[in-house]
Amino acid sequence: MSIFNSWPGEKGATSYGDIDAYFTSANSEGTLIFWTLVCIGILCFTTWAAARHESETDKNTK
Amino acid sequence: MTLEELTTAVITQTYVAAEGWYYIMTGLMVAIHVGFLMYEVGASRMQNAVSSGVKNLLAFAFMIPTFWLFGWYIYLAFPHGLIPMDMEGYGVPWNVSMGPMLSDQLTGVFWAAFTLFACTTASVFSGAVIERIRISSFVFLAVLLGSVCWNLGASWGWHYDGWLVTKFGYHDVAAAGVVHMIAGWFAFGVILNLGPRVGRYNADGSMNELEGHDLRFSFVGLLMIIVGFFGFLGACLIWPGIPAYEGVNTWTTIYFVPATLSSFAFNTLMGLAGGMIGAFWISKGNPFWMMSGGLAGIFSCASGLDIWYPGLAFVLGFVGGCIIIPANNWLHKVFKIDDPVGAVAVHGVAGIWGVLAMGIFASGYPGMDDTIPAASLYGQFVGALTMFAVGFIPGWGVSFVMKMMGWLRVPDHVQQAGIDKAELGLKATNY
Repeated sequence: MSIFNSWPGEKGATSYGDIDAYFTSANSEGTLIFWTLVCIGILCFTTWAAARHESETDKNTK
Repeated sequence: MTLEELTTAVITQTYVAAEGWYYIMTGLMVAIHVGFLMYEVGASRMQNAVSSGVKNLLAFAFMIPTFWLFGWYIYLAFPHGLIPMDMEGYGVPWNVSMGPMLSDQLTGVFWAAFTLFACTTASVFSGAVIERIRISSFVFLAVLLGSVCWNLGASWGWHYDGWLVTKFGYHDVAAAGVVHMIAGWFAFGVILNLGPRVGRYNADGSMNELEGHDLRFSFVGLLMIIVGFFGFLGACLIWPGIPAYEGVNTWTTIYFVPATLSSFAFNTLMGLAGGMIGAFWISKGNPFWMMSGGLAGIFSCASGLDIWYPGLAFVLGFVGGCIIIPANNWLHKVFKIDDPVGAVAVHGVAGIWGVLAMGIFASGYPGMDDTIPAASLYGQFVGALTMFAVGFIPGWGVSFVMKMMGWLRVPDHVQQAGIDKAELGLKATNY
């Protein structure tokens, strides 16, 4: 059973014959971990940015 | 039951199920138009709220017969360029294929789904022109966009035999280019000629906010659009068993490439969330932009909706949600346009990002067989350029002629009196 991959990395397959996981970078666990960490980073960063904005509003309206 | 009877029963059930799927998806897509109507009514000032809604209703009503008259034919006949293929009469309104047939269960429901896609393009356009376009000229331009332009682009890039697909490997499964880019840049072409609403710009070039009368309508409307998009996206897939492609027994994309409904579920939701969060961050919590960001997030993932890793879809959506607000500000500053709902940025700009992201992150994905080039950044770039031209050139050119004829813009004194009262003799509420 093959899996697809695309940039970055080697291509895992070039056709849909005998394919299971067919999403981007499916054969590169390191790349999947990277995107997972980016997701977590975005969630943490936006929550922090919202909290900072609220604190600034607090200061500016005193 | 003999093997022959069993085979007949399975085939019959496959086609009946496919017919049912597209029928239900068509109904679900009506929610997109409920949403756009509420969104645009809410974004209009009270004095123009009814006429904004009338415009949406008319776009819907005119698109249906015109897509039956020539829209469906254009989609089917022009995949190779501007010379129509000989389809032996199929798709023209006086041919039996364009009516109910026991031997053809699918043409009607496919036509209906495509008609609702066409209505979606018109709804995208309508938000950009509220409060100052003549209703009659809007209807004419909406038909041009929905029953001629987008379906020509779809014939080229959203059809297994379209020249963008067979020559460049263009991959745009959920229509970031063929629907959103074309509609967004068509709208941009029109609003360049239409001009801003009275009072939008001051003599020194500074801009005034003309706030809509009820943000709550816009909230609910935008959520309804997202509900409807599940119908839109569901109808972008081909039901298992009906493509004439040997050995494929699963869902396929419109390019007959294997896919799953799960890929659409994963990536639509992750893109939506990423777009909302991105716009939340950039706008510092403006709910209007958060909801628009959600849409932009879906469009950012649309070209490769079948193949994204969900974590990457979230990131693509986040980037889409982040770019629409500066893009909208830049378009207003440079071109002095008036796009009350940010349609050009949300659909046109996020659409470009969606099409190019497919080339950046998924180059090398194969087509349905060896005759179709693999997806590439070059192919996606050619596709994006084509979709921009198919939207912008007719939008700008035809509206320019209409402007010269004096058939485009509501006169300033009628705008100031309020279009609802002056033209329709109505008002949106009695309180």
